[in-house]
Amino acid sequence: MFKKLIAESAAKSPWLFHINAGSCNGCDIELVSVLTPRYDAERLGFKLAGSPRHADIVVVTGPVTTQSLPRVLRAISQVPEPRCIVTMGSCPQSGNVFRGSYSVAGPLSKYVHVDVDVAGCAPKPEAVIDGLALATKILKEKRGR
Amino acid sequence: MDFPFIKEAISQLFSKSSCAMYPAAESPAAPNYRGRIVYHPDRCIACGMCERVCSGNAITRRVEKTDEGDKITLTFNLGSCTFCATCADFCSRNAIEFTGDYHMVATKEEDLLVSGSFIKKPPAKKPAPAAKPQAAPAEAPKETPACAVVPREDGKPVSDPSKCVYCTLCAKKCPAGAIEVDRAAKTWALDEEKCVACGTCAEVCPKKCIIM
Repeated sequence: MFKKLIAESAAKSPWLFHINAGSCNGCDIELVSVLTPRYDAERLGFKLAGSPRHADIVVVTGPVTTQSLPRVLRAISQVPEPRCIVTMGSCPQSGNVFRGSYSVAGPLSKYVHVDVDVAGCAPKPEAVIDGLALATKILKEKRGR
Repeated sequence: MDFPFIKEAISQLFSKSSCAMYPAAESPAAPNYRGRIVYHPDRCIACGMCERVCSGNAITRRVEKTDEGDKITLTFNLGSCTFCATCADFCSRNAIEFTGDYHMVATKEEDLLVSGSFIKKPPAKKPAPAAKPQAAPAEAPKETPACAVVPREDGKPVSDPSKCVYCTLCAKKCPAGAIEVDRAAKTWALDEEKCVACGTCAEVCPKKCIIM
């Protein structure tokens, strides 16, 4: 009974873990603004987790540099299944203006399965909320299986 | 007893929340926000300028040969776009538009592609035998500086040699590399095969001597 209660509650409150993979900080600031009282994603249940082991949704920003790649993969592998990986901004999807650089190992989809892409450079906080809502839906489907 | 900010605290307690209730309440983007790209293929002339100025390599152009002419498809990858709007600034025909739509969320990469295609008919090939005799008298007044230059019927540029200072700016800015200007010989030549009639040369000409 408790297990069911916990599972139902957890579905309504996915915790986020944010990885900066060499981002220019634009997307990071937008993600933080989503969690502040102005856009307040916490009223929708999203909460920033300090450890990847506590997280359900991983938000990756930045073009995945060669320095950050092993750390990103390690952090993602620590997130328990079912998890949802959200790329934020153009960089983790394609490399954006950093594409072709010697120090860029991205895009992220080469290494892990990416569930949701949020486009924009940087995306508006509203677009991030859209993306997180979609990630919650995908998470629910993954749990249902 | 003194309570600091008690007035402020009570007034804020009953005031409206400063939170933007986004999914419940619509939140339109600010004016001039650069969001989802809308491409108008009916205006495009495939000069390739947008592709050249794109910093994120987000624009690809594909050309397919069909019976009616070249089918040109431009694809904008929003997942690679910086939304700098340089392509829209450089587009001489305003075929690229940035809208206020910021809902760009996708589960597949294909959902973030904006593409459009149009068929570019070869105008030079069909009327070529008929147009050439016409083109010759049109070029003839170009050589005589006294005469005013007649604009061509096919929309391609003509330079007025009486005004032209042979600064080569049009040749440098031409996206197709169709213009050749020789400063020493004072000649202005147009490669009609390469010219896409985009109007960039007429725009950049400091003497306004190029007529479209």
